[in-house]
Amino acid sequence: MRRSRWIGAGFLASALVLTSCTSGPAGVDAKQDPHATLELWTRTKPGGPGEQGTLRLAQAFEKATGHKVKITAIFDDFETKLQQRAAQKKLPDIVMNDVTQLGAMHSQGLLREIDLSKIKNSKDLIGQGLDSGKSVQGKQYALPYSAQASALLIRKDWRQKLKLDAPRTWDDFAAMAKAFTTQDPDGDGKQNTAGLAAPLSTKRGYASWYFSNFLWAAGGDFITESGKGTYRPAMTSKASVEAMRWFRDLGCKDKSVQPGSVTMDTPPTNETFEAGKTGMFVVGPYLLPRFDETLGKDTYEVVPMPKGPKDATVLAEGGSVYLMAGSENRAGQDAFVDFAISAQGQKVGMEGDTGFVVQLPVNKTVNISQVRPDPRWKTYAEVYLASGRYAPSIPNWTPVRQATADTVNALMADCGLDLQAKLGELDKQLAGILKEQGIAAS
Amino acid sequence: MSLDQAGPAAPPAPGPATRTAGRRGAGAVGRRRNGGRSGRRWTPWLFLAPALLLFLYFKFIPMVSALTMSFQEVQPYLGNTWVGTENYTTVLQSSGFREAAWHTVVLAAGQTAGSMALGLALALLMEGQSRRLGFVRSAAFLPVVVPIAVVAELWRIMYHPTEDGMLNSLLGLVGFGPSGFINDPDTSMASIMLTGIWRGAPYDMMIFLAGLTGVDRGLYEAAKVDGASRWQRIRYVTVPGLRSVFSILFILAAIRGLRVFTEVFLLTNGGPDGSTEVVMTLIYKLGLEQNRLGVGAAGAVLLFVATLILTVVVQLLRRRESK
Repeated sequence: MRRSRWIGAGFLASALVLTSCTSGPAGVDAKQDPHATLELWTRTKPGGPGEQGTLRLAQAFEKATGHKVKITAIFDDFETKLQQRAAQKKLPDIVMNDVTQLGAMHSQGLLREIDLSKIKNSKDLIGQGLDSGKSVQGKQYALPYSAQASALLIRKDWRQKLKLDAPRTWDDFAAMAKAFTTQDPDGDGKQNTAGLAAPLSTKRGYASWYFSNFLWAAGGDFITESGKGTYRPAMTSKASVEAMRWFRDLGCKDKSVQPGSVTMDTPPTNETFEAGKTGMFVVGPYLLPRFDETLGKDTYEVVPMPKGPKDATVLAEGGSVYLMAGSENRAGQDAFVDFAISAQGQKVGMEGDTGFVVQLPVNKTVNISQVRPDPRWKTYAEVYLASGRYAPSIPNWTPVRQATADTVNALMADCGLDLQAKLGELDKQLAGILKEQGIAAS
Repeated sequence: MSLDQAGPAAPPAPGPATRTAGRRGAGAVGRRRNGGRSGRRWTPWLFLAPALLLFLYFKFIPMVSALTMSFQEVQPYLGNTWVGTENYTTVLQSSGFREAAWHTVVLAAGQTAGSMALGLALALLMEGQSRRLGFVRSAAFLPVVVPIAVVAELWRIMYHPTEDGMLNSLLGLVGFGPSGFINDPDTSMASIMLTGIWRGAPYDMMIFLAGLTGVDRGLYEAAKVDGASRWQRIRYVTVPGLRSVFSILFILAAIRGLRVFTEVFLLTNGGPDGSTEVVMTLIYKLGLEQNRLGVGAAGAVLLFVATLILTVVVQLLRRRESK
């Protein structure tokens, strides 16, 4: 063989050796150093107000406990970058990320179990918040530091102009959406407004995320628990079908959903509400500072979602503190999560007009009205406590959200599709996903 | 390589000399010459080494890694486990992948043909030496240099699905009703294709312009003297003269078309109703959104193989034509 070929073969062999080095088994417990600096990753825009809020929280933690924290803010491809660190067996010590990431991170062995006896403030956590950090087997793998739930934002000036009351039922809701679409609420003489702003793109599963507020209020479900941590698909149940039909009619029959919704994720949808093109928006409290600035506080109002066929259940979400496996400072990890959920940590996290890391407190000893006197925040807190519901902690929620988003998007985009057949196909798909994750009911 | 091996390549020592001395003399010359030659042999590799190392680390190792991952269930922290061809079976048996593959082929074919046709038309219109033409060519080339995220946002605004949307108001002027464009499953694919053609045509135009300079002007004049019309001159002189340009552009455009991602991701993310789902958006969803990196890698390997086959087939056809 010529020497150049040997060189080529050498390069290839080196590549194979190098790549195979990255797939060994997970490392054993690291040697402990209680003074080691904690590396914390948070999913927020670098240099943005979210990072400033996290820095404030970390500084207060350092002052209170003496542990050192190094913050890294990452927004784009957060999960991919975390996987890269996992491949290097060098995870950050703490991750602050969406509550729905629990299953994916736990099933990949990235998290360590939290011993609640070592987290003294855990006794003050709101029950559903505490439950949101449990794995499908019921073990605690995360603790929430911030919560949010959906409520209804309405253009107050439009509602008053058309002499309508805030909706209390789904019929009122649909009637108001139709009126905002057809009765020229902005008074420009053109029919250029829509009743409801809805991000119904498939990107990150937005269509499913938005629709869950209506599905659950109707008594429907994406997947339903069948005991012993197993689930079965539920999109063809009577309540789910009715919820989908009703929601679809808003777009297909009443034309009350903003045009182009099926290709819109959140930024362009937010803009339709800000630009006076839509009159209602079901969304969490994190957009209040933005809309206060662009629309003005008095232009819109916040009310709880009207009661659906079953109740007024809405999607609850938020952020959790995850303690990562392989840390050399487990005492520091425990101390941080304990501080983040304490009354002091929650109040520090709620400071600021825009850069707050805590939306709604998860500690029941914290009264939101004392920290934020704005009654709209109290409305959100009450909705969260009374009607908030988290997505279930299955090994990987993302495929369920993606599959359901694809179907909701399809049914809203093509009004000629057979609804029942499409939901039947979705149930088959969901059954496959549940089976693949080992949680399908037999 | 040893000196003895290098010996035969060295010329025999001149003049009358004993066999041993001759061999010794040849060895000395061979050593000197071989030293120089081996230096020359390594020089290009030394110059290439930085680029090769970067390629190795950032291209070839990740490629091998992706190939390995396509046979594994990827769990970076727990350790990957071999699953054989399971990921490939999952991908190939999924109806979503087959649909995405078909959409990719349709989009690649449409964008390739559209970009080349429009690019050639633009090149023929803008061929010449005038200074003003330079400015017009630069202006026409702008879509290529504008970041794709900006392009997607511009087209999203233009595709607004109501009567007051930019393109819809133009359609209204000629009596057509508002189109849903990217929001309607029936028109979404064509809309994405149009955006791709708009962006790709100026690139093709520049390559055609470069190719046109190589076409013998005398042939045009001879054709004109023979009474050929403008269209006949294009058909019988220009197009054959640009044959090699066509094949290069075809490969480039087809690869670009098969790997289409950003404009689809930004404009529709595969929707509505999966009507614009292409292989790359599906791989992204499987691998990075759903954390099924092994299945995503299998899809990526299949796309790579398809691209490789296409490139090899075109090269073989070119070789056969040139013979």
